[in-house]
Amino acid sequence: MPKSTQYTLKVLDHFKNPRNVGTLEGKGVAVGRVGNPVCGDLMDIYIKVDDDGKIEDIKFKTFGCGSAVATSSMITEIAKGKTLDEAMKITRQNVADELEGLPPIKMHCSNLAADALHEAIKNFREGKKGPVELGETRFACPAGEVKNVTGLAEFVGKGVFTGYEHPEQFRDKRVLVVEFDQNSVEFALELTKVTGRVILLSPLEQLAVNDELKTQVKRSDIKHLKQAELVEVSGGSEVEKVRIHDLDEDEEYDLVVDAVVVPS
Amino acid sequence: MYLDYQSAKPVDPEVIAAMTPYMAEKFGNASSLHEVGDWSTEALDSSRRTIAHFVNAREPEEIIFTSGATEANNLAIIGYALRNKQKGKHVIISEVEHISILNIAKYLRKNGFEVSTVPVDFTGTVRLDKLEERIRPDTILISIQHANNEIGTIQPVMSIGKIAREKKIVFHVDAVASEGQIPIDVQRDFIDMLTLSSNDIYGPRGVGALYVRKGFLLNPLIIGGGQERGLRSGTEDVAAIVGFAKAAELALQYMPEESKRLRQLRDKAIKTVFETVPRSYLNGHPTNRLPNNAHFRFDFIEGESILLSFKERGIAVSTGSACSSQTLEPSHTLMSLGLLHEEAHGSLEITMGRFTREADVDTFLEALPGVVKRLRDMSPLTKTEVGM
Repeated sequence: MPKSTQYTLKVLDHFKNPRNVGTLEGKGVAVGRVGNPVCGDLMDIYIKVDDDGKIEDIKFKTFGCGSAVATSSMITEIAKGKTLDEAMKITRQNVADELEGLPPIKMHCSNLAADALHEAIKNFREGKKGPVELGETRFACPAGEVKNVTGLAEFVGKGVFTGYEHPEQFRDKRVLVVEFDQNSVEFALELTKVTGRVILLSPLEQLAVNDELKTQVKRSDIKHLKQAELVEVSGGSEVEKVRIHDLDEDEEYDLVVDAVVVPS
Repeated sequence: MYLDYQSAKPVDPEVIAAMTPYMAEKFGNASSLHEVGDWSTEALDSSRRTIAHFVNAREPEEIIFTSGATEANNLAIIGYALRNKQKGKHVIISEVEHISILNIAKYLRKNGFEVSTVPVDFTGTVRLDKLEERIRPDTILISIQHANNEIGTIQPVMSIGKIAREKKIVFHVDAVASEGQIPIDVQRDFIDMLTLSSNDIYGPRGVGALYVRKGFLLNPLIIGGGQERGLRSGTEDVAAIVGFAKAAELALQYMPEESKRLRQLRDKAIKTVFETVPRSYLNGHPTNRLPNNAHFRFDFIEGESILLSFKERGIAVSTGSACSSQTLEPSHTLMSLGLLHEEAHGSLEITMGRFTREADVDTFLEALPGVVKRLRDMSPLTKTEVGM
């Protein structure tokens, strides 16, 4: 099997010297975002459309592996100067072909540039011409209402805490705090004094607290899991694992923890 | 420039010199009764004594030469489980074992055994309380690594050995990641079986050994002419075994000084990375880790991109990112620590060795901040998360 890093010279060239890295703003600009950092790829493609409906300028920002960067860079070269209709016809295969091939394993996972471009064009046509709305909320209720968490009741007192216990109890533990209200966020910050591993889980894109507290969380070592909810707690005599539902991707995954704080 | 000693090591020139006569001049079959055969028999006996001494085994006969660590792990776990299944069908391993042990566990499960896995804490250390919790009356074998091959955390093997001995459960240790870096003592640590690899101590590839405490019975996995006390048939590769023994002899001789030197380089690397790269973290135990291992993670960037960036600068490093693996799954070890997928994606491992110079580490440390910055400037996560 070829190695994932056995790239063509063209891919390596675009990785080393990516074309059109950056962002755009102003009149006629739209953005398309695809991917999810959980999967290892996140791509933003910015387009600026002129009065004739042509892509006058194009930029990208990408988090991902070598092929994610190279395909982003390549699509900016392909799409520049094209009309929106022409650009909509650019496929993943076109991008891979222009790069003289991608390792088979990367064809699907890291070849999202065409999708991001199409998303940007769609957003332009729908009149969503501003920057990517990261604060866009998909759910009406701001704070997590913990409901139907499998195994939660069973582990109360065995790693599951329903109130704010003395932080010393959590020393050096991996703690998951489910956002409930401002107190829960303050408690998570308090915990960073006794343990290096605090994960704050919230259902929205942003914490439902004031800006000052938000900044404090960003500057702390807290790992903030957004748009996610707790679905299951499991373990032996104590909590060992939780199952998290990523609401954005509609995917579930496991996370190893020692304690769960679920205020109610 | 090579900072990936965990993946493979060069063979020490002294080892090559020791092996060479056994390729052409002293080529005999150790089973032959004539003088040419005797040279090989003597070399084999002497090598067995050296390896026994390397792990402080009581008798040379407790060493079985194999084709490498993977075979030794198979022989230990499958060989013991099949032979002793009437005593019980339950085996315990840790969640952070090498992939060979994890896949052996899968094989056992398919063949009527139950395998429990013991979790680790955030430093990657096996939880002794959880281990005791998983022991059952039908548990016949516990297999735990001496140190982790990815993040370098050293396991409390003596404490585990004590627990196993008290409960009369056989204790197997995979010592591949640690051998030659920290001392191994099968008697002090209550170890019944121990896996060794030759290349991991600068010996040739294709040879390894399993230590089996006298009195334990295993089923052989390779049947044939009855070499290695019938546990591993096939004409012995005497040249490779002689090289392996020479490597063990050198490892014992160099270990105190080499480990001290590597530990200093490691600590310098860790300190410098923390000082020069914001939002960088160390995976594994802060102090109780292999002398040659520094395993980092960086927020907002992806490991394969880091690896490629170093590759173009001629520096070989390693990553636990899913994007660099065949399965596209992140490292099971990193996930067992309680890391999130995106954190595991941003990992970078450097492992140093006998031929690493301080200047090599300095070159890496000088290049790192620029590599990270370039990828972060390109990453849409950076601004979103912290406005960096």
